Amino acid sequence: MKVVHSWLKEYVGEKLPDVKTVEDLLNFHAFEIDGVEQVERETVIDVDVLPNRSSDCLSHRGIARELATILDIPLDNDPLAESPQFDTTDAINVAVEDSNACPRFTASLITGIEVKESPDWLKTRLKAIGQRPINNIVDATNYVMYAIGQPLHAYDADLFPKVNSKWQFDVRYAKAGETVSLLAEGGKDEDRIIELTGTELLIVDGSSNTPISLAGVKGGRYAGVHADSKNIIIEAAHFHPTLTRKTARRLGIVIDASKRFENEPSRELPPYGQAEIIKLIAAIAGGKCEGVLDNYLEKTANPNVEVTLQKTNSLLGLQLSIEEVAAIINRTGCKVEVEEGAGLLVAQGPFERTDLNIEEDFIEEVGRLYGLDKITSVVPDTTNIVTINAKQHYAEKIRYSLLELGFSEVVTTSFHKKGKIQLQNSLASDKSYVRGDLSKNLHQVLDANFSHTDMLGLRDVRVFEIGTVFSQSETAITEHLSLALGVRTKGNGFTPPDEQILVAACDALEELLSISLKWEKEKGVAEINLSQVIEKVPTATEYGTLPQKSSTHYKAVSPYPAISRDIALWVSEGVQAQEVEAVLNEPAGDLRLRTDIFDEFTKDGKTSYAFRLVFQATDRTLTDDEVGTVMENVYLAVSARDWEVR
Amino acid sequence: MQTPTGHQHPLTHMIAEINHIFAKIGFEFAEGPEAELEKYNFDRVNVPKDHPSRDMHDTFWFKSKDVSEPTVLRTHTSPVQARILEGTKPPIKIIVPGKVFRNESTDATHEAQFYQLEGLCVDEGVSLGHLKGTLEYFFSEFFSGKTEVRFRPSFFPFVEPGIEVDMKLLEGDSKLAGKWIEVMGAGMVHPNLLEVAGIDSKKYSGFAFGMGIDRLGVMKYGVEDIRDYYTGDLRFVNQF
Repeated sequence: MKVVHSWLKEYVGEKLPDVKTVEDLLNFHAFEIDGVEQVERETVIDVDVLPNRSSDCLSHRGIARELATILDIPLDNDPLAESPQFDTTDAINVAVEDSNACPRFTASLITGIEVKESPDWLKTRLKAIGQRPINNIVDATNYVMYAIGQPLHAYDADLFPKVNSKWQFDVRYAKAGETVSLLAEGGKDEDRIIELTGTELLIVDGSSNTPISLAGVKGGRYAGVHADSKNIIIEAAHFHPTLTRKTARRLGIVIDASKRFENEPSRELPPYGQAEIIKLIAAIAGGKCEGVLDNYLEKTANPNVEVTLQKTNSLLGLQLSIEEVAAIINRTGCKVEVEEGAGLLVAQGPFERTDLNIEEDFIEEVGRLYGLDKITSVVPDTTNIVTINAKQHYAEKIRYSLLELGFSEVVTTSFHKKGKIQLQNSLASDKSYVRGDLSKNLHQVLDANFSHTDMLGLRDVRVFEIGTVFSQSETAITEHLSLALGVRTKGNGFTPPDEQILVAACDALEELLSISLKWEKEKGVAEINLSQVIEKVPTATEYGTLPQKSSTHYKAVSPYPAISRDIALWVSEGVQAQEVEAVLNEPAGDLRLRTDIFDEFTKDGKTSYAFRLVFQATDRTLTDDEVGTVMENVYLAVSARDWEVR
Repeated sequence: MQTPTGHQHPLTHMIAEINHIFAKIGFEFAEGPEAELEKYNFDRVNVPKDHPSRDMHDTFWFKSKDVSEPTVLRTHTSPVQARILEGTKPPIKIIVPGKVFRNESTDATHEAQFYQLEGLCVDEGVSLGHLKGTLEYFFSEFFSGKTEVRFRPSFFPFVEPGIEVDMKLLEGDSKLAGKWIEVMGAGMVHPNLLEVAGIDSKKYSGFAFGMGIDRLGVMKYGVEDIRDYYTGDLRFVNQF
């Protein structure tokens, strides 16, 4: 919800703190701030209002009330302070088919207005929150929605035919196959004609039974206000949140009005919307309000809730008195009655706070307003756990054993391009199935990593994964933990030596678990249902010790290819490999990624060492010439030590 | 050339470490299915059908012809809370590390699959103070240095009050030290979760928290792009 600082001031008054303080107050007592921006001369604060407060705080008045509560001051000007009083009108009539779907429908008749541009102050405020000004009447309906949270709609009364000299609105469910025309969506030219299924609630012109709008979701152009409109009808209603949401979601319409109806604003709100817009239109478009129709079929009241001191302090970890709790709840505008001596109070939220329904809701108010920073930590006791998780225990045991055998662990995607179980919805066509095994991914991992062996100082690639795979039973998706391991010793795919290393690793695991296992083996990858294995092994009694990790700081991998050069040389017996490596590394410089020894033997008082140097740049592809120049320097350093290059 | 020891993936290493840290204060390692019933993923954790709070998660659904009950790839580890509460008498102290899924476009800080750590503690007299102490203990151990946490108000349907947790590492020369960092959502278990599981919410209370393990690795190891965890690239894994 974007709020304009100067707009808040209209409600809070001169005591409204500066923008930075407003940010901090909201951040630590109410809502997270997503950002602050300057739009022309207005400062706009983007407040992240979450679903629990979208009923009252998707409005400037709501945020202003929140600030006043936090600051413990009254609002200077509160549009919800006094219940509006209107002259009634019998020129408008409404027939509501289902009072649950539309518990309240109000409409006002305003005559003699002049449609023109809105005044600058109004245009500036709308533009500040990203709204495009249209004309003073349409702008007024938008303004009041962002001011107090009540969506409104304006009709040209003269374009709306009468029945028996009355304007007749019907609020009814659609008939299957009926259509309604909705205003073009942002960026589109043409209105959207929607064919209805029968579950949608419509507002209908009763004179001809013509659908005008999808109630609470979106309006159409029917009887729209235009440049020459003189007499208008303003509608402000309450529609059932779930019904609104279902229709809006199904049609993919999410606009500011539907979002507010979905979040169940108070049923008391529509007349306040009328009061605000009648005042505003009189000021910016002239005219006279002839009266208001208020069809309030199903009243609701916020519940009276018992809040105990014991529960409050025990949930929050505080030691407040009942008087303190009562005073804090009272600040929110709630009615509070303390039951003396009972450690208990009864609270009722103000009408706009439809979110205050259970004891915990009020306790949350106490916590955030008193200050969550005042909660002291209770240090947890050291104690032993009773149950060891078998999967975690055995996964760790297998994992550490495979690491010893030179296998590295990967975690791969659960999504496949093809498979047996397809998701209903997915973002990308190559990720629309869930995996039924780990082997497919491991084959790809082996292929992809083989070209990096030099860079990694490896002779072959050995990997494993322990992860969940899915299968289809008759009536459900089932899953189990799977273990797969794979070996690749040659770059051009599977070769028999892969199998030897793989079999040895599988044998080692069988020995580790003292059980014989039925592996599914294919081309250097073996997989087994680990959930089944764990059912057959003894109950775990403790977790193994945790291997220490060095304080790794990860470095992003260079996207450019690496180049390797081998060097073999004779040195006098007794010269250590580390010494030789240091001599090679020095002239190799910054382009050197790593050096690995891959051969060593001693003969006739001389030792032969063979090293592989791997080069890579972080900003470019290295050329052979570039690496050749570096290697010349390496050879020079070697000859300077009287070592003989083989 | 000898075969060097393999490298453990940082996610499973962090999970093992988390498990060891929490085991010392009595939290047991719990788990639940990745293909989860809508009932547990949403309804039983107080996210009713057609409620705006459902918008907080973009969900992958299985096809209705494949399942007799609506099933999703779990969007969080919280359904395990509902499953454990349903079958266990308090005191309950669990952690749930596990893979979760969101139907979102991916970038360096968002993946359609990631690991989450859930924590749940239900007993008589459990308060936000216990939550604060538990998290300070955990972060101090995990980041090897005294760590402070602070709470800000927030909303998650399964807790009331709901809070956002920031942490600050007080010691050391790590890039993290001395700064407040937003790390997780938490709060006191919503009474609806307890009552639906047959636990008396007048007698028992509990705290719950949830955070991204991938993000813990971003903080601990300086991983810059969380998609790297899932590439199977040993140039990534073998740095750990």
